[in-house]
Amino acid sequence: MYELLLTGIVNIVQVKYLVPLFIGTLVGVIGGALPGVTITMTIIVVLPFTYGLDPLQGLAAMTGVYVGGSAGGLVTATLLGIPGTPSAIATTFDGFPMAWRGEAGRALWLGIWASFFGGLIGGVFLVATTGPLAAFALQFGPWEFFSLFIFALSMVAGLTGSSITKGLLSGALGLVVTIMGNDPVMGAKRLTLGIGFLEGGISFLPVLIGVFAFAQIMTDIEKRRAAGAAAAVVDRTLKLTVSHLKVITEILKKPFLLLWTSFVGLLIGVLPAIGGSAASVMAYDQAKKISRHPEKFGTGTPEGIIASESSNNANVGGSLVTIMAFGIPGDAVTAVMLGAMTIHGIQSGPLFMTQQSKLAYGIFAAYIVAHVLMVLILALGARFMLGITRVPQSILIPIVLVLCTVGSYALSNVMGDVYILLLFGMLGYALVKFKFPLAPLILGVILGDQIEINLIRAIMTDADVWLFLTRPISGVLLALSVASVAFALWQHRRHHRRNPQSADDSADF
Amino acid sequence: MGRDGIAGLVCLAASLGLLAATIGLPGPNLLVPVGPGFYPRIVLGITAALALALIIADIINQQRKTTTAPAATPDTAPNYGLVAATFLIFILYVAALPYLGFRLSTLAFVAVLQSTLRPPRSLKQWIIVAITALVTTAVIYVMFDSYLAVLLPRGRWTDF
Repeated sequence: MYELLLTGIVNIVQVKYLVPLFIGTLVGVIGGALPGVTITMTIIVVLPFTYGLDPLQGLAAMTGVYVGGSAGGLVTATLLGIPGTPSAIATTFDGFPMAWRGEAGRALWLGIWASFFGGLIGGVFLVATTGPLAAFALQFGPWEFFSLFIFALSMVAGLTGSSITKGLLSGALGLVVTIMGNDPVMGAKRLTLGIGFLEGGISFLPVLIGVFAFAQIMTDIEKRRAAGAAAAVVDRTLKLTVSHLKVITEILKKPFLLLWTSFVGLLIGVLPAIGGSAASVMAYDQAKKISRHPEKFGTGTPEGIIASESSNNANVGGSLVTIMAFGIPGDAVTAVMLGAMTIHGIQSGPLFMTQQSKLAYGIFAAYIVAHVLMVLILALGARFMLGITRVPQSILIPIVLVLCTVGSYALSNVMGDVYILLLFGMLGYALVKFKFPLAPLILGVILGDQIEINLIRAIMTDADVWLFLTRPISGVLLALSVASVAFALWQHRRHHRRNPQSADDSADF
Repeated sequence: MGRDGIAGLVCLAASLGLLAATIGLPGPNLLVPVGPGFYPRIVLGITAALALALIIADIINQQRKTTTAPAATPDTAPNYGLVAATFLIFILYVAALPYLGFRLSTLAFVAVLQSTLRPPRSLKQWIIVAITALVTTAVIYVMFDSYLAVLLPRGRWTDF
């Protein structure tokens, strides 16, 4: 295993792969540092550039975006008090107060090195567990895969958003998208509504790009006044130099905190569609609970920064495990990566590790090397990142929308995919306005075909539907699906009992 | 009826409409014991049931709300006019792509959307709008069409 990893690292440091990885990491750091531009948005923008690359080049660039973006958010979070990405929210709690009292360099570098170490811990987990988990998943038959996908969908639907009914309905709408076009078993046309471009089915990438890009861009535009938002005021006199040895020692002197918060990040990463923001907030909360001085949290304590940043980078490793071992995206970013794999004709899932081992270990290597590049980029350009935050949204938004259009069109060089982008862009914005969570919809679109194929395969193998319950792994997964919805229901009811005012859009069943 | 009720009604109507459209689908054959309509009917049935649940939940919430104080309104109203304008400009861009081609429509789209989001007030700002539109179009076109071998749309009217 480690020989393959070493080969992967030797492979990835070749100029052919290192250049896209470096550019991806740089773009990720910049995208992460820009308030209002999420990692998902950055990876959507990068996606079309990977179409013409070979699979490892493209996936290396995307891994770089993911790693760079997870760390880039901390620059503005610590120095401006504005999280560049949602996953850096908890970093502002202590990073900004520390910078405010004159320790900007320490705050920034505590975050960067914590990201680095958290990411490496995530890397160890990624390399060590993906293979065994994929080997375990190889024992799955269609019953187990069907139940696994249902479990992923029910968990996401239950855990995201304020209403379980809306979460489940959002997931169901995602499944509806996949039943339009050719049926995946017999190839019969169904539910095309007489629309020509629906006959081949709906590709999930234009749906994903449309839903996420428009939901975010339009929500940002809503907040704009006609005169335009004021650019962030950057204090160019901030002193960012620091003794790296001192900062690294400060982090490594708290090994339990680093390991525990990284573990929280990993765990959240493994769970489908719960992103880095939940990981960093939960890790921050955990750090506060295990600290001897919880009262210092929020005043500029290093523990808060370490917890938030180590967890959100470890989260990336966790998300990559799920997609590589099971073919289930851990979040929106890995969903785009899954789309990129599909474009190159690569099927993710349990067979990926054995059939595409060079590519798999190349991704592991890219993940590890991206952390080194991320530190270098931030060391050289943290002040420059602050300058970039002054680029007005009025310039960024049209460019992002053009790249979304190109990304959709270039999938199969047909306008149909651009129409789907537009349609789902409108739907995505409408869903946000109606307070529907978007993650279950996307997961439904991604898993819909696989759910159907495995359901039909199971029935074709044996017409006894009780096998879904009586086969041990399948039965456990279905029981977990019910339990996850029941847990979410209990959690929502408890929340509403405690906060009756927050129950404005909710009476759940 | 609140927003959830309206969303539920739309979803219910759509799922029932699609459910009706599955009636004409072919049935099972010797190789596949279930037809192409089997899975869609399950999915659409579940969607309809969830939509109905959302409507009922909304009705219950509306009854509860009559006894509670109205929610506070936000300080700044969302700028829906700008959102509508952005959507309209994007729709026109998508519609123009097959006729004008990527280069002309993108040039116009970037310039118009930029000017809408932040209206230029001086000659310098107009120049920035023009340069951004030109550079964006040129860089994306050269990068994709020449370097990444992705063919971008050519205009039927312009052949450009």
